[in-house]
Amino acid sequence: MSNRKTIRLTVNGRHYEREVEARLTLADFIRHELHLGGTHVGCEHGICGACTILIDGSSARACLTLAVQADGANITTVEGLRNRETGQLHPIQQAFVDAHGLQCGFCTPGFIMTTLELLGENPDPTDEEIKEALGGNLCRCTGYQSILDSVRLAASRINTATAA
Amino acid sequence: MAIDIPTRTDQLPTSATRFIGKAVNRIEDPALVSGTVEFIDNLSLPGMLHCAILRSPHPHARITGIDVSAALALPGVEAVLTGEDVERWCDPCFTAPEGWGNYCLAVGKVRFVGEPVVAVAATSRYIAEDALELVQVEYDLLDPVCNPDEAMAPGAPLVFENRATNVIQSRTYTWGEVDRVFAEADRIVSRQFRWNRVGANPTETFGCICQWDLADNSLTCRGAYQTPRFMGIGRAASLRLPANKVKIISHAQGGGFGGKGGPRGTDIAALLSRKTDGRPVKYIEDRMEYLLAGGGQSWDRYYDAAIALKADGTVTGFKVRLVDDQGAGAEGYGTISAAKPLAAFTGNYRIEAAFYDLTLVATNRAPTYPYRGYGPPPHNLVLESLMDVAARELALDPAELRRRNYIGPEQFPYTVPSGNEYDSGNYAGVLDRVLELADYKSLRQSQAKARTEGRLVGIGVVSTVEPGVFDWNAYATVGVPGVGVPEGVKVGIDVFGGVTVAVGFNLQGQGQFTVAAQVVADYLGVEMNTVKVTTASTDVALPHFGQGGSRLGVAVTGAILGACEKLRGIFCRVVAHVMQTDPEQIELLNGRLQMKGAPAHGMSIAEVAGLMLSRSDLLPPGVEPCPEASFVWVSPNRNLPDDQGRCRSYLTAAAATHVVQVEIDRDTGQVAILGYYIVDDCGTRLNPASVEGQLQGGVAQGVGAALYEEYVYDAQCQPLVSTFVDYLVPSIHEVPMTVKDHLVTPSPIAPLGAKGCGEGAIHTTPAALLCAINDALAPLGLECRETPASPRRLWQLLHDKA
Ligand code: FES
Ligand code: FES
Repeated sequence: MSNRKTIRLTVNGRHYEREVEARLTLADFIRHELHLGGTHVGCEHGICGACTILIDGSSARACLTLAVQADGANITTVEGLRNRETGQLHPIQQAFVDAHGLQCGFCTPGFIMTTLELLGENPDPTDEEIKEALGGNLCRCTGYQSILDSVRLAASRINTATAA
Repeated sequence: MAIDIPTRTDQLPTSATRFIGKAVNRIEDPALVSGTVEFIDNLSLPGMLHCAILRSPHPHARITGIDVSAALALPGVEAVLTGEDVERWCDPCFTAPEGWGNYCLAVGKVRFVGEPVVAVAATSRYIAEDALELVQVEYDLLDPVCNPDEAMAPGAPLVFENRATNVIQSRTYTWGEVDRVFAEADRIVSRQFRWNRVGANPTETFGCICQWDLADNSLTCRGAYQTPRFMGIGRAASLRLPANKVKIISHAQGGGFGGKGGPRGTDIAALLSRKTDGRPVKYIEDRMEYLLAGGGQSWDRYYDAAIALKADGTVTGFKVRLVDDQGAGAEGYGTISAAKPLAAFTGNYRIEAAFYDLTLVATNRAPTYPYRGYGPPPHNLVLESLMDVAARELALDPAELRRRNYIGPEQFPYTVPSGNEYDSGNYAGVLDRVLELADYKSLRQSQAKARTEGRLVGIGVVSTVEPGVFDWNAYATVGVPGVGVPEGVKVGIDVFGGVTVAVGFNLQGQGQFTVAAQVVADYLGVEMNTVKVTTASTDVALPHFGQGGSRLGVAVTGAILGACEKLRGIFCRVVAHVMQTDPEQIELLNGRLQMKGAPAHGMSIAEVAGLMLSRSDLLPPGVEPCPEASFVWVSPNRNLPDDQGRCRSYLTAAAATHVVQVEIDRDTGQVAILGYYIVDDCGTRLNPASVEGQLQGGVAQGVGAALYEEYVYDAQCQPLVSTFVDYLVPSIHEVPMTVKDHLVTPSPIAPLGAKGCGEGAIHTTPAALLCAINDALAPLGLECRETPASPRRLWQLLHDKA
């Protein structure tokens, strides 16, 4: 069919080549074709941020992106953070566990990916800067206080590790 | 033999608890932060089809024709379901009072915008949605009834034509000498309130995969199910199957807050599976479907209420008239929601008499469902607002007025006029602590200063009781068919000493798997990381209920303690037999079964389990080679409601007082929260971090309900809210980072003294915010009596005044 197109992209360091329908969203592609279910879908209209991933290092909403737009892209999803060999959690993931930054965990991959981008750009953010960065992610469970704590904890641990 | 469930942690067979009471990390979190948890949409089954649902664009219309031929002809479409199939194969849902339930899909007419009319199963969701565009439905429009006034007007169109009225239920409750206390009152304060409809909106919508086994005529449903067994019974009833032919497999859920379960979506997917010779059919509700007509819309209420006071501020009576717009049918247990305030009708106060007049009305809005708190949050807002008005009239500080009326710590157990019994509490202690935490005096000083500058700054001081751990008699008060509310678990130990706890529910966010692991690890003296908690499907699970009514942390603790007590009995017998002594000579302490007085002689839990599983020759007669025990916990001492609905319906009564300071922007009507302080008392805190999480999460939902969220309908009953752009869930910018502390007044009757606390701050926050807003408005002589107190509403109030 003419509305199908072949795309090549890298997800979490792996190369994929797939033929996809032009209308397929990137969220559906990642979730149902690549079977990476950690990118969650909470609204499909760009508000909740549950589907946040990194495309070429910048956060993006997988629900508002078409798979064909990701042709040639380098994508990171939450599954790409844990150490593949040891299973050890990324410091941001560990900080969310230690600071009780989640309840149901459905929003969490989105928050973690947003935090990854934030701390990459600004390793020592103020509370206001954290809030600014997370303002586009909705969490219905936690009331955000423990999420703020988690991001602070992640930043301080990453900074201590880099300083050492 | 009766099993005694420990009500104190010092009754556990351990010299010191290592996990209970500590903010231990949650066992569920590593998988959740890794993105590897199997939420239902992550699962695919071989041959699976995808369902999409065509929904009514009209609030009230007769269906005169449906043409699905073009949809069926679309390649990839395997089946189409209409009201004809449903009428042939189903019964209306059984959870509503007789005659007020809907079919899963419209039969003959539609009653609300968003009601399912046609469903399609296709090889992809994309194709299924394409097919919906090819379906033709013809409607004859009927006049809608858009609110209770219209619905109760003479000659109003009937939402349910099999009924002669739109009034689903109407009754009064009288507790004590209400007429007398109002006649003798020195002062009566009365107001009307409007609480607009809000809803749960978990970040994950409902989803399921249903498979009908045609040979066996049985059904398996996997999905985001909050109360699996209850869901299974409901499906058996609506789909006309024996209950033991319906198997529910509950998956982890991305939040619940009351409405999680999707009976309609499940029935539709099940019937599509039946129509496609048993192929699995997945239905994932999308956010627009959720916002139009999903589970979790709640509390569409009109209140007219009054309190009676003595000159010294003693509140003697409380009268409430509630008209509740249930929407198009009572399928979502809205009747129980309206009656739940019976559990704590008079809040924290010694009010001797009360009256409740309840009218539940059907309209052409979407049906309402349970939402966190389930009834009391609006009720608390009414009572607490009246307390504030009274304080203003009496020129008393609102904190002082509350203090004068609190139930005293020596009065527990305390039976409220509406019948429930509070187990314990220390309300004045909570108030003292929060006033200190907030530095209340200086808050008032800063408010006074702000007022001289013309700023609209206000303070709310609000106290509430959170009824925890409900039971069957909470249903019985309103005559809804109920089921028991037990919680069953099985605790087993494998040959290597690993402990498995099988429960009947799955994760939803509150952390009950972690609580289960904490309790079992402390009881058996093992490490938490040797404990696996797993969900049993309904075909093998013990009787259970799951999340609901602030019960599960307490209930699962009770169940595990019961199972562990049984295990201890068995293990003592085995060890006694091996050591050739009496079981009474053996005790369990810190994970060892040992000789009393000679602790060197003994075996570890793992050794006993290993022995039981490998050496049948060493077992005493009558003991099975099975180091496992089950226990089904229920609240002790429940009783039948009397003719005024009075009964011990909730086991525990947690309490909280919130202090909040707000400022209203005169130019925009926006409310800024300047400071937010909480002191709560939910008895023993099993996992303090989880308790705090529940509180803070409740604050966020309370902020939403009080300031932003609203299911708006226009005058024709068309919903104006269908995305998160219109329905405003608070973000990190709107939710205050609260300052918290707590008191611990253990429950004398609940397992380990813990009280239900999962609903938490949603009981308190809306009232606290509205009270603060009205305190800010007081110098202008204005009052806001409608929620959400949105910028538009407050601006209007300020503007109309000017
Ligand atoms: S699912 Fe993409 S923003 Fe909500
Ligand atoms: S943890 Fe449930 S939505 Fe954030």
